[in-house]
Parts: sequence; C-alpha cells; structure tokens
Amino acid sequence: MIRHPLLLVFLSVAGLGQVRYEDILRGPAENWLTYAGDFQAQRHSALKQITTANAGSLVPKWVHHIPKANGLRTNPIVYNGVMYVTASNELRALDARTGTLIWQYKDTRSKKEAVNRGAAILGDRVFFVTGDIHLVALDRRTGGVIWEKQYGKVEDGLYASSAPLALKDQVLVGVAGGDTGMRGYITSISASTGEELWRTYTIPAKGEPGSETWGKLIEYGGGATWLSGTYDPELNLVYWTAGNAWPDFFGRDREGDNLYSSSLLALDAANGKMKWYFQFTPHDTHDWDAQAWPVLVDLPYRGKMRKLVLHANRNGFLYVLDRVTGEYLNATPLVEKLDWASGIDAKGRPILVPGKDPTATGNRVCPSVRGATNWMSPSFDPVTGLFYVMTLEQCDVYTSSSLDPEPKKNFSGGGAGPKPADIGEFFLRAYDPKTGAKKWEYPVVTPTADAWAGTVSTAGGVVFFGDDQGQLVAVDARNGEHLWHFGMGEGLTASPITDAVDGKQYVAIASATAIFSFGLFEPAAREPAPKIKLQ
Amino acid sequence: MYRIAVLLLGLVLPLAAQHENEKPKHPFVGDPAAIEAGRALFAGGCAACHGAEGQGGRGPNLRERIYWHPVDEETLYRVIQKGVPGGGMPAAQLSEDQTWQVVAFVRSLTAPAIESPAPGNPLAGEALFWGKGGCGECHSIRGRGGKLGPDLTNVGATRPLPQLRQDILDPDASGVNGYKSVSVVLRSGATLAGVARNRTNYSLELQEANGSLHLLSMSEIQEIKLSKGSPMPKDYAQRLNKVELDDILAYLSRQSARPIEPKKEARGN
Repeated sequence: MIRHPLLLVFLSVAGLGQVRYEDILRGPAENWLTYAGDFQAQRHSALKQITTANAGSLVPKWVHHIPKANGLRTNPIVYNGVMYVTASNELRALDARTGTLIWQYKDTRSKKEAVNRGAAILGDRVFFVTGDIHLVALDRRTGGVIWEKQYGKVEDGLYASSAPLALKDQVLVGVAGGDTGMRGYITSISASTGEELWRTYTIPAKGEPGSETWGKLIEYGGGATWLSGTYDPELNLVYWTAGNAWPDFFGRDREGDNLYSSSLLALDAANGKMKWYFQFTPHDTHDWDAQAWPVLVDLPYRGKMRKLVLHANRNGFLYVLDRVTGEYLNATPLVEKLDWASGIDAKGRPILVPGKDPTATGNRVCPSVRGATNWMSPSFDPVTGLFYVMTLEQCDVYTSSSLDPEPKKNFSGGGAGPKPADIGEFFLRAYDPKTGAKKWEYPVVTPTADAWAGTVSTAGGVVFFGDDQGQLVAVDARNGEHLWHFGMGEGLTASPITDAVDGKQYVAIASATAIFSFGLFEPAAREPAPKIKLQ
Repeated sequence: MYRIAVLLLGLVLPLAAQHENEKPKHPFVGDPAAIEAGRALFAGGCAACHGAEGQGGRGPNLRERIYWHPVDEETLYRVIQKGVPGGGMPAAQLSEDQTWQVVAFVRSLTAPAIESPAPGNPLAGEALFWGKGGCGECHSIRGRGGKLGPDLTNVGATRPLPQLRQDILDPDASGVNGYKSVSVVLRSGATLAGVARNRTNYSLELQEANGSLHLLSMSEIQEIKLSKGSPMPKDYAQRLNKVELDDILAYLSRQSARPIEPKKEARGN
C-alpha cells in the first residue's frame, strides 16, 4: 500500500456531515449516491484518474463475498469511503478501500427471500427494502435501526426488490410480482418518520380513467414497479416505469391498451399525481416490461434546447420524449432483430406487424422476451454525447396458454425462449440520442447470450460494462476500442459504478456472489506495523 | 478479528436458520402458557441434570450446543418421551401435551426473546433503560440513544432471553464483536478513541462515541490500545435488583424492528 503524506493529516471521517439532497444533485464523483449515480440516471462520473491511457493497468483491489448470495443485483452506494451493498433481506456497510465489513443488518423475520437492487442514502440514513415489502431505515454510520415500514403484503402477490429513490425528505419505493397477477404501485414514505405520504397505482381501479382499456382482469393487471426511478428537481417530477400487463403472454381477457402497463409515468413528487404517461407497448403480450432506465438529458434537439427523457425499451426501440409534457419526439430501432412492429407512428404508437402474438404452438418473434435491452443500466456521456446501451439481438418462440388465469400462482399465460440453434448475441452500442444513429458497437462474443450487467461512463473517457461470461470490460468511450478486461468467474446481474477514496479511483461491481473493486496497480510498500497494546 | 466476527455471528444466525427449518411448528411452541407449564415440568423433572435454565450439569447444556447442531422439535419430543437408553436419561412419564409443554420451554431457551414470555414490567424496564440503568448512554433504540454499543432496536427478535440476561450480567461472556474499546495514536500525533467495528492487520474501522466512523490504514497508526473485554459496565448484578433486571429484560425482549405478530391460539390447556 502506498503511503500518502496527506493521509497523515487528513482522515477519512465517514461519519461526519450529512448526505444532503444537494450532494446528490451534484452527480457522481468520489461518492455514488443513488442506484444510477444521480437523479438523472446518466451514470456518468466526473472521476478521471482512470483514463484510456492507464486503464490497462487496472487490477482487482478487493473482493467481498456475501454468503448464500446468488445472482446479486445490488448497485453499490458509496459515501465518504463507506460502501453500502444489499442482498436478500440484508444490507452491509463495507470499507470501500479494503472491502472489510464494518457492519451488517439482516432482517431474519422477513417472509420472503428476493433479489435486491440496492440501497438509497439521505441525511444520516441508509434505506433498503426487504423481500416481504418493508422499507428499512438504518443509521448509515452504526447500522442501528431507525424505523421499519411495511408498504405491501406478500399475500397480495407482491414482493419487493427495487432500490429506493431518496429525495428531499421522502423515499420512493416500488413493488414486484407482475408475472403472477397483482396491482403495481409507487409509494412515497417520509425519510424522517417512516409514514406513508402518497401512493400511486400503475393500473387504474375499476371506473377510474384508463380502466376502459381493460377487460376482465384489471384488478390483477400487473404494472409492477420493480426498478427505481429518476427525478427532475426543477419540474419536481419523478419518472418511474411500469411492467407488463398480466397474464403476460395471453391477452384475450384484457382487450384494450391496458393502461398504464409497459409505460413511463411522470409523477408530481409532492403528491404522486400523474402529470403524464407514455405507453411504449400497448396491450403487451411479450412480457416487455418498460423497466429500463428513463435517462434525463438536456440537449439541443431539432433546433432548440429541450428537456428530454431517453428510454431504450425492451420492445426494441430507443425513444426520445419531451420530459416536461411527455410529448413523443422520436423512436429508432435499437436492434436489427425486430419484427413485431414496422416502426413507431407520429404519436408514438407501434405500427404492428400482424401475426406476432404468442400462439399455442409457438410463434417466433423478435426481440426476445428478455428484450432488446432490459434493466441493465445504460449511461450517457455528455462529453461524447453518446448513449451507451447493452443490447441483445435475439428472437424467441412465444407460446400462449388459454388456461383460466390464476392470480398469485406464478401463472403467466404462456412462456418464451429461444430455439437452441437461435441463441442471440449481446452488443454494447453507442447511440447518438439526437438522431438515434448507432455510432459504434462492441460485440460480446459468448455462447450463452445471458448478460444482465449495464454500464458506467467516466470523465476519463472510459466506459465500463459487464459481459455474460463474468468479465468486467473497459472500452474507449469515443470508439468502443477494448482497453482492459477482467474475468470474475461467474455471471453478472448488476451494473458497475465508480467511486474514489483518499484520492484513489475505484470501479466496483457485484458478481453473482461477491462485490469486486478495481483500481490502478500500485506496488506493495513496506509498512511499519503499529504497536498494539491489549488492556 | 474476522475469525472472532464469524464465531460470534454464529451465535445469532443459526437461530434464524433453525426457525426456517422447523415446520410445522407445534402450536405449544411460542405459546406463553405452554412455556410456563413446561417450565414447571422442567423444574420438577429435568432441571436436576440439565440446570434450571438449561445451562447443563450432569446432562447436556440445552442452550448452547444447539447453535452448532440444532435439534428440531420432533426430535426433542422423541428424546423426552423415550429418554436416551444407555445414556443416562430416563424416559419421562409425561402425557403428549405435557411433553410438548417441555419442548416449548426448551425451545424458548434458544428462541428469540419476543417468542417467549418474559417476567417483569416492560414499562418499568423502559424507564430504567433510559434512566437509572444508563443503558441509553451507549445503546440506541429506533435512533434514540448512544452510538458506542450495539443497536438494540431488534434485539428481542434476534437474541434469546437467557442470552440477554447473560449479556447484562456478564458482558465479557457475551462477546464484543465489533464493539471492542480502542484508542489509537496516529503517526501525525492525533488521537482517536471509540470502538473497533472491525480490525485486520491492514485496516481499522473505528467508531467514535458520536457515531463518526474513521477508516484507517495501519500505516497511519503509531499505536493501538485495545481492551480485552467488553466496554460495558460489569456491575449490573449489583446495580440492579432482581425485579429491575426482570423489568429491563421484559423491555428488551419486546424490541423488534418490525411489529410483533400475535400468536395463534394454542391447542389444549
């Protein structure tokens, strides 16, 4: 370990100060304070110690294994040298320099084991959800419980997996379970007291506006809210996506558009009221949840600066919307394997190709059920102006079942998967969001096409992403040229982040069972050991 | 340090695992009346060998061996009914219900405290905890209290009642994972004091009384002074009378991060 003279006078005082709302607004640098790094989900860090010139000398700095973990989805949060990661019903605080466990909290009384996408941080608190839908607030320094709030019931076909979104004095959370028949919602809970402030359902109740777009199954319509959301502080709007309509693959009993499934919702953060919505996939029958990140960018667009939201959707299109009004502006194909719609019309509605619904005997449709992309995080680099998205070129055979739907029984009205000889291929692609044009791509050559890791871009000009062989890969943000890779030996189901402690930049990511952190190589130094006295 | 951490975690975590693996639960298990009835039966027939609180004697300790090789309720029932032929334990002359009452009592020795009745007045215990007992100076509950000792918001849901009693009366025996007193002199000359949330040969994560965390590399440190035992006062057996101790235990045994679910009505009795 290199000794820094500065360290002798400057200590990492992780406990002092508060994580202020304004700190989150500043965007990611040393700290990484939301799932997506900032409120906009740009996942672009101001750190630039790791560059295209030196990325080749990255080495693993530490690994922290989480016993019994399997398929970790956690996105680390880092504040003042402390990293917060989650697993099922569990949150751990790690020393971000060493991976050493500082404390852990495990909710042993949870009724449900579930994947968990990570924590949120605000003030002196860190928040996470349990599988059985409790939001837990812990003292971020000691791990002590401050409050715990149940905001849903497993008995209603729900569970929880999303990373909370903390802003001002509220924490927003969602629910999962959309493939089993449930009714999705987003709930706001007071960060100070744990009280519920508002709740907005993604599927209208019978008689409410939008209910006319449903048939018989509206009460189990789905529209799960299992990812986190983004936020525009000036507009005070929260952007949150809703999942598929239920039953996933069989639409006979739910004729109509099935609002607000497979949609992006813009909600007033003050009261949860819907300002606008945009439905990407009306009457979805391919399980194309809208769960991909609504990335907020301000760009000159068709001659004037506009507040935009970019959305690389599972249905195969890259959408650009006006985030003030929800106005549809443009959609371009993300992938070549796309045959269910011939395009998107002037109002943003897909132009359907007939005969692309699932059938009893199976119908090959592109993209696949996993989508042209999915919840793996994209990133937007304001320097290159490029939008980096992990994309999957794959078609699946979609089957449907006319069995009577059974809510809460893991019944999805069919299924989907590729033919063995028709396995697809992943690409990291860089798009110009102003035109939708693909600027470069980096093929991920593997036999399995089973990647779930997203990206992070940096001011050092490096984009990091994970592939489906467990490799963390660094490429040049300008042209996608390979700079470095490291195999973690197991699948990746989480996206990388970058942070810095004591002036050293790290790149961290969860593998299936562990947290890895990488940094630039430094030779080990001889260090004097302190005198230790036992009293 | 890490080895200690793993060992001490072992005290708590297998309890949870044990719960998950024990289905179906007999309705007497966790039922206050059945546990009290079981306590009386245990005192009459079992305590002579196993100790009044299951701490062991001629017969095995029923509180601690269970951490490594948990015995399920069906097995406990069978052993009580049939004894251990050739092993010195006679078959108990108990009815089916009585046997389950004894199982409920034995189980309560290792079950989280909220699952068992605790004698004592929790309201009086609360007053003692935050007042005369001085517990809140170091321990926190729902964000209130000190930062140096373990947070106790969920302690009733994670630790058995006999363990809680020992924690108070003999803190050194209970272990001090993550809470060993530490003071350091840095090479810069500065000093820090608090508890070591973790310590390896290479790093120290030190928490001060105000909650501040200091992430230190050993290369920054000139000298470390560590206490061997727990920083908790060792004289609670003198400072608290039996009633006061029971009151504090009653208060702690009801501390659960999530609401305590009402028990289903037990069969019989």
